[in-house]
Amino acid sequence: MRLHRRLMTALLCLILVSLCGITAAQRETEIRIGVYEPMTGAMAAGGQMTYEGIQLAQEQRPTVLGLPVRVILVDNRSDKVESATAVTRLIQKDKVCAIIGSYGSALSMSGGPVAQAAKVPVMGCSPTNPLVTLGNDYYFRACFIDPFQGRVMAQFAYEKLGARTAAIIQDIAQDYAVGLANFFKQAFTEMTGNPKSIVAFTSYQTGDRDYTAQLTYVANAKPDVVFAPGYYADAAVLITQARSLGLKMPFLGGDTFEAPEFTQIGGKNVEGVYFSTHYSADAPVTPASEKFVALYKAKYKIAPNTFAALGYDCYNLVLDAIERAGSSNPVAIRDAMAKTRNFVGATGIITLDANGDATKSAVVLVVRDGEFKLVDVVHPR
Amino acid sequence: MMARKRVVLSILKIAAVCAALVLFFLLLAWGQEHWDAYTVRILNLCGIYIGITLGLNLCNGFTGQFSLGIAGFMAVGAYTTALLTMAPAIKQAVYFIEPLIYPLNSIQWGFLPSLLMAAIVSGIVGFLVGAPAIRFRGDYLAITTLGFAEIIRVLFTNIVPITNGALGLKGIPPHTNLVWSWGFALVCVAVMARLMRSGFGRALKAIRDDEIAAEAMGVNLFSHKCLAFVVSAMMAGVGGGLLGNLITTIDPNMFRFPLTFTVLMMAVLGGLGSITGTVISAALVTVAMEALRALEEPRVIFGLALPGIPGMRMVVFSVALMMVILFFPKGFMGDRELSLDRAKSLATRLRRANTSRQG
Repeated sequence: MRLHRRLMTALLCLILVSLCGITAAQRETEIRIGVYEPMTGAMAAGGQMTYEGIQLAQEQRPTVLGLPVRVILVDNRSDKVESATAVTRLIQKDKVCAIIGSYGSALSMSGGPVAQAAKVPVMGCSPTNPLVTLGNDYYFRACFIDPFQGRVMAQFAYEKLGARTAAIIQDIAQDYAVGLANFFKQAFTEMTGNPKSIVAFTSYQTGDRDYTAQLTYVANAKPDVVFAPGYYADAAVLITQARSLGLKMPFLGGDTFEAPEFTQIGGKNVEGVYFSTHYSADAPVTPASEKFVALYKAKYKIAPNTFAALGYDCYNLVLDAIERAGSSNPVAIRDAMAKTRNFVGATGIITLDANGDATKSAVVLVVRDGEFKLVDVVHPR
Repeated sequence: MMARKRVVLSILKIAAVCAALVLFFLLLAWGQEHWDAYTVRILNLCGIYIGITLGLNLCNGFTGQFSLGIAGFMAVGAYTTALLTMAPAIKQAVYFIEPLIYPLNSIQWGFLPSLLMAAIVSGIVGFLVGAPAIRFRGDYLAITTLGFAEIIRVLFTNIVPITNGALGLKGIPPHTNLVWSWGFALVCVAVMARLMRSGFGRALKAIRDDEIAAEAMGVNLFSHKCLAFVVSAMMAGVGGGLLGNLITTIDPNMFRFPLTFTVLMMAVLGGLGSITGTVISAALVTVAMEALRALEEPRVIFGLALPGIPGMRMVVFSVALMMVILFFPKGFMGDRELSLDRAKSLATRLRRANTSRQG
């Protein structure tokens, strides 16, 4: 009983001490920018990569309007309910004037309405679902959206690979994959002019381990290419099984393939896989990308990834808007943000359209000798 | 004389309870407008989780049927409410891959009928799942219900013309406020309290303590377990509906099994089989999850600068959870209740102990 009491008291003291730590409450002497990202949970990898980019950008540009910038990070635990609470906290408690986030469209969709109601602008890094900015004039994003990405791959398959028929295997549990598959299908049938050019359309669930049924179905349809949007872990296993079943046609995917794990899991089997993404460290599209790649390599000792680059751009986009607004008033920042034109970012030249979505070029990469090599750059029309 | 006095007393009691309720709701309505959005959001979550956890406790704690299907029933309720309350124009914009099927795409109901509908639909699903599943006992029931919850989620991912699949729903009207969420919590508390004092509630407890003995005493196992299961599913469904209309967007991935475990943790911490314990722990866990966020902020303690570590609060939370399980294996309250009478008797006992020590 005594041990029990002591332990409980010790724990309580520990919590109290940590709660009492001094949080700097300098209100008017700094510009506060909130970041809500999944730092733990299923999507933690993406959130951490994005935050690395944001930190790098802050080191490069620590002041705006003559005031220091403070970045306040809140973790949304890859959870939708928590995501909405996190944004509320940033606005109400930390009184931020702009927000960056979040990796994962579903998380952005629950944070968005909160920011809109409180009239605080949000710059999304990589939520590509078209629904994120739909009907929300306070949500912007630095990335292109799924309709564009789907069209890019369809165009690439049609023009560069000469494909006339295609099969689609989508991860039906991921909004990202479902959207991409749908827009690829639309664009591809439009280009070929043949409504039957998608010869097979099938699905799997995140975490499935056996894709034999889907692959046999696809093999029987004999498509020129297979479009398989999904996350890298599942896609790498799927392509490995496809090769062992004797499917030799090219496989295509989206920006989620860009992870070292993709080649680690897939090994030789994912050689020659094409995928679209936001930028490539090999082919810096702007002077800003060269600078970013050098800085990132100096700090983290590895080649940067897309999400870090998008985080870096988001921070700079927000600071750019604050500078043009000339104040830390969220509504003024929102108006300035909506007028972003020809912003030179690490991931390309960004112009925000009426929906708040970035129109910018995409790159197509291929896996060669276990590395991602640039094959094509596609510009928006 | 005594009888009259008793009548007057009970009328006074009822009047006091009514007055307290009215005051409570007036306070909530006032708070909705005047408290900051962060506080309001956390309080809303408290109310919703209290209701859902009570539902889980009815099945797991009071009846002893260890079910893990709560996330599935929440999904059913959330989708029902969302589809009924969303404006047709928004539905058209959100369903951009496949349009929503006919009757649903053109209707818009009020919040109360939608929630009632959510209760009915999740009750029906609860019966369909429960009727076959409750023939199992113990671990087997847990596995079966967990499986059913996953089936519901996978179904929702695949029936795109109704649920919009993995893309989820957006633009659900934000109807949920403090009055709704705490109204739901209070209704659940009232239902549970009445139920536990009725013969039906005693039969449920009898089933929990010894199924064979209960059956020998004439308790119909199937109908009792089934009804407990259905009522539990209904509470989860309404809670899910309130949650959907609070965060204004839902998708099938929200209702994976970690959600069930969050609710289960609240029930276990408070005590399986205690209404007041459940209320306290559901509120405490919800508030603590936010309060402990302070642990993840970079801070200066005694001149020592510490960087913020994301995930720190989960570590502290797990340690606290383990301590509770170690020292209170039956949760804070076990199967006891906190009530005015109990507090009074405790006070009397203390006073007596004091006087005897002095004397």
